[in-house]
Amino acid sequence: MNPKPSTDAPIVHVENVAKCYSKWSLRGSRRVHALKGISLSASRGEVFGLLGPNGAGKTTLVKVLLGVVRPTSGKASVFERPAGSKFARSKIGYLPETLRVDRHHTARSALSFYGRLGNMTKKQIDKRSDELLDLVGLQGRDKEPLKRFSKGMNQRLGLAQALIHDPDLLVLDEPTDGLDPVGRSEVRKVIERLSAAGKTIFLNSHILQEVEVVCTRVAVLANGEIRGSGTIADLAGKQDSDVVLLDVCFENEVAAKQFVEVASDSHPDLCLSLDPNGSPRGTHRISGKVNQQHSVDQIVDLVRAGGVSITRLDVKRPSLEDTFMKLVGKATQQDSGP
Amino acid sequence: MKPYLAIIRDSFHAALSSRVLWIAFLAIWLVLAALAPFGYQEDLTADFRGARDLAYRSRLRGLLAQGLNDPELAGTAVGRLAAAMPENIVEELNEISEGGNATLRASEYADALNKCLDDESWYDRDAWASTLRLTELRELDELPDAELDESMRRRRARLRIEAAMPGVFATRSAKSISLTYAGFDFPAELAVDKTRFVGIINQYVVPLIIDWLLGFILIFLGILVTAAMIPDMLQPGSLHLLLSKPVSRSMLLISKFIGGCAFVFLCVIQLVVGLYLVAGLRLDIWNARLLWCIPVSVFLFSVFYSVSVLAGLRWRSPILAIGVTTMFGGICFVVGIIGGVFDGFVTGPARIQSMVVVGDVTFASTQGSGLIRFDKNANEWVEIFGSDAIGMDRTLPPVVVDQDTIITARTKGGRMNPFGSGSSDLLVLSAGNNWEPEPSLGLPPATVRLYEASGSLLALSGSNLNQTEVAGVLAAAGEQSDKEGSGEKAPDTTEQAGGLLGRLSSLLGVAPTGFSSVLPSGMALEPPRVVMVSGGGSQIHALSRARLLRFVRSEAGQSWALAAEHELEGDPSIRGVIAVSEGVVLVSRGERPIELFDSETLEPLSKVDLSDRLSPTSAIGLGKSRFMLLTSDGRCRLVTPGNDGQNAFVLSDTVGPGTVEAITYHAEQNLVYVAHDTDQVELLNADDLTKQGEINPALGVWRRVDKYLIGPLRFVIPQTGELGETIGAIVSGKSAMAVRDASGEEQIVRYDILRPVFSCSLFIAVMLMINCIYFGTRDY
Repeated sequence: MNPKPSTDAPIVHVENVAKCYSKWSLRGSRRVHALKGISLSASRGEVFGLLGPNGAGKTTLVKVLLGVVRPTSGKASVFERPAGSKFARSKIGYLPETLRVDRHHTARSALSFYGRLGNMTKKQIDKRSDELLDLVGLQGRDKEPLKRFSKGMNQRLGLAQALIHDPDLLVLDEPTDGLDPVGRSEVRKVIERLSAAGKTIFLNSHILQEVEVVCTRVAVLANGEIRGSGTIADLAGKQDSDVVLLDVCFENEVAAKQFVEVASDSHPDLCLSLDPNGSPRGTHRISGKVNQQHSVDQIVDLVRAGGVSITRLDVKRPSLEDTFMKLVGKATQQDSGP
Repeated sequence: MKPYLAIIRDSFHAALSSRVLWIAFLAIWLVLAALAPFGYQEDLTADFRGARDLAYRSRLRGLLAQGLNDPELAGTAVGRLAAAMPENIVEELNEISEGGNATLRASEYADALNKCLDDESWYDRDAWASTLRLTELRELDELPDAELDESMRRRRARLRIEAAMPGVFATRSAKSISLTYAGFDFPAELAVDKTRFVGIINQYVVPLIIDWLLGFILIFLGILVTAAMIPDMLQPGSLHLLLSKPVSRSMLLISKFIGGCAFVFLCVIQLVVGLYLVAGLRLDIWNARLLWCIPVSVFLFSVFYSVSVLAGLRWRSPILAIGVTTMFGGICFVVGIIGGVFDGFVTGPARIQSMVVVGDVTFASTQGSGLIRFDKNANEWVEIFGSDAIGMDRTLPPVVVDQDTIITARTKGGRMNPFGSGSSDLLVLSAGNNWEPEPSLGLPPATVRLYEASGSLLALSGSNLNQTEVAGVLAAAGEQSDKEGSGEKAPDTTEQAGGLLGRLSSLLGVAPTGFSSVLPSGMALEPPRVVMVSGGGSQIHALSRARLLRFVRSEAGQSWALAAEHELEGDPSIRGVIAVSEGVVLVSRGERPIELFDSETLEPLSKVDLSDRLSPTSAIGLGKSRFMLLTSDGRCRLVTPGNDGQNAFVLSDTVGPGTVEAITYHAEQNLVYVAHDTDQVELLNADDLTKQGEINPALGVWRRVDKYLIGPLRFVIPQTGELGETIGAIVSGKSAMAVRDASGEEQIVRYDILRPVFSCSLFIAVMLMINCIYFGTRDY
């Protein structure tokens, strides 16, 4: 009998997982390191986002969690059981990026088929199918052959099949791909609702805004390595400070440059600089890095002390995209470096 | 099991949604619709059908010519019939009487006889009173003409013609089947009764349809349709989803494999059930065994599908899967052809057909018409006449005439027809002459068997049984050798006889010089016939057209007289075997119960049921009223007196080795020689059947190639073609079939049921294991 997993243990735990594919051809063998010792974990109720460029190793990591590929080294566990074990798989609902359901199915028969693969009874399947078809908005079209379905309807059916056996962990690979804005919003709501219900969600998505909105934690993968992980705020904090932008009215360009030089000498921590682009006509844009409100105040005081007017002030936080690009760009630079 | 059943069920749904399946269904319904109008009518056998009915045409010509030209025969049955022949026949008969050659074809004689069926003016009650009339004819003769309908009257006329000219006609069932299609009669009727018709449909027609439609077309179609199944499953969006479910990879693959068979299953079930219903409703053949074709066909498909699955797993391409499977089918076919060639040209001709033992030397005749002698020192069979698959000559089974001499004969072209193509001589082989064949007296025409009866040599020639003195044969052998040495030619025995009878003697099968007829005048041994010499050569038991006859030798020792006869029940055209053992005669005919008779009175003693799937191949008496019966399954069984009743006999379970080719009993040694597995021989004690010795000869080069290369190759590469035999055996319910060669001799061809099933099962199991390991250990 399987021991019951403890409630505070991570639902997904990956420790130093590496995966190396050997490719054989007539020219000889070639080894591709898809994952290079990855470690991460996701706790109950978390919506964990997995980000990375193409070829970063995201899909391989998802396959490791599903047990479709076996890691070359390291350990991956789901619900404290080895990833890929029958128990672990029985707790996972998976939505692949490109769902392929045989064309002879209807939405209802497909749900019935996948329900049976999850060892559900007919009664359970019928009850759950009604709920899920309602949830994904396919009620009323559940007896139509799938060949008449649009990509979006297919994707919604995919989400329904992933949920059919009420899994505790959802692994969603591009869940909103092909959906219209309304559909995306509905999926986001479903994810939030499931998260609120204590389900753990492992989200693999290219749509950074979506991840930003729904994920509580993210991990950025590049070249088989994790470049950063944590909450979005943590990631942004680790990578960069907020940026303050001021549009000020100097007499001329020389005055503006002199001011920036003097201020930079006295407050090097503010990293003040003159931004030649973007300021409205007759103004000059000064940017600086700030970590707290006090720094903003300091910059304002410096400008005002010079008797210059401030026409606009904006404090910009770095977006997930900025953070992502930075992390991935760093990785790319490292990889292409000497 | 629920997830896996769901996968299998899903495969059925997928198959049912396939357009190709519905096209296949349509094709099947069209085939069934084309077969459905077949029907049959059963009628009394009357018309003569050319060469097939006129088994001994020379005798027919001889008898008619004699009847036409011999004034003494003018009023007899044959004389009246000859007079009723049309002009062209009469002309030819006259020419024949003058020593000319026959030019008219058998069909013209058949047409002439058929005309006689309509116009019975040739019939005379008194003339036919002296003929040997069958019970059926006697019963019909007793009925007034008014009670006979046209078919009964024609049947009676045919039986009268057959009675007038015994030993001419092939024995046919009393009733014949004629096929109809949508109510229209087929031009030719089948020369079989209902029972044989059912046998033909079950043994030949249905397996042929199943072989072609199921074994080839449907399987190829199935492979085309299912080749995409595994590559489709391996698509990332499908495979990863399936593998994310709590199912085992191996079971997933096996379920997909079973599901893949759904297509063929759905087609086969319709075709087979359709054939079953057509056969039942239209031909009254309700053969439930036909339904076994469903699992066998799916099994056959699964052999190919297991290869398609592996190719699909490896290359993920339906085209490659089809290509690889087709190549595999080609390899199976080629290996099957090579195996068939070896069977036909290497092992087949070497199979022992009969054995005789002279002192401690064993001789055997082979299926390839060879004559071989076992050389103990070299541990090999030494060829006296080589075994040949396509040779024309026939070697008669040898007979032992004394402690160091055997007599046989080799008829030129004898395998094409019993008369051969030219005269042949008896051949004497003796130890003193280092077993070299020495020609002796001329062999009576159409001789198919020789027998030895206390100093006499009997020759079953056509419908006659002739005898000569062994001493004369041996002496003639010496003379022939001398004459050959001095360049003299043996005199033509036919020319010596002179007169009309002399000119017709070769046609009539009249005993040539040196031979005398054993049978009483006017009597012939009609096919199917078997002769058995017993009682130390003092009596002959014979089976002639369902009549059991006993002839005894007169005290003078030269002539034989019919001492008893018994007409057997059932279809007279069924072939049978007889054996004699201490006062009891065993008769076993086809699938009928084995019958035992008192050897003197021919009174029935007992009946023993033989399995309805078996038919007898040969029988020997072992003494003490015990018999050994070799049946079509290649196994021996004993028929022995039971303990519970005086005249009760029981059939034992199988005894001795399997794949038995021939059996013979050596009374002096009290040993049963059992030839098995082509040319091996096991020597069994006749009392307790314990093994006393064996002949396990060294193999020749080709036999070694067959045993160590072709055999294993045929085992490793599944012989899917041979599954057709399995289907034939299942549908017919028989383990062997009788094939009649051009000379009318019947050979038993045993179905190899288990080897293809075992080889294919093993192949599927190994392929599934490889598939599961490959699928289970690979990253996708």
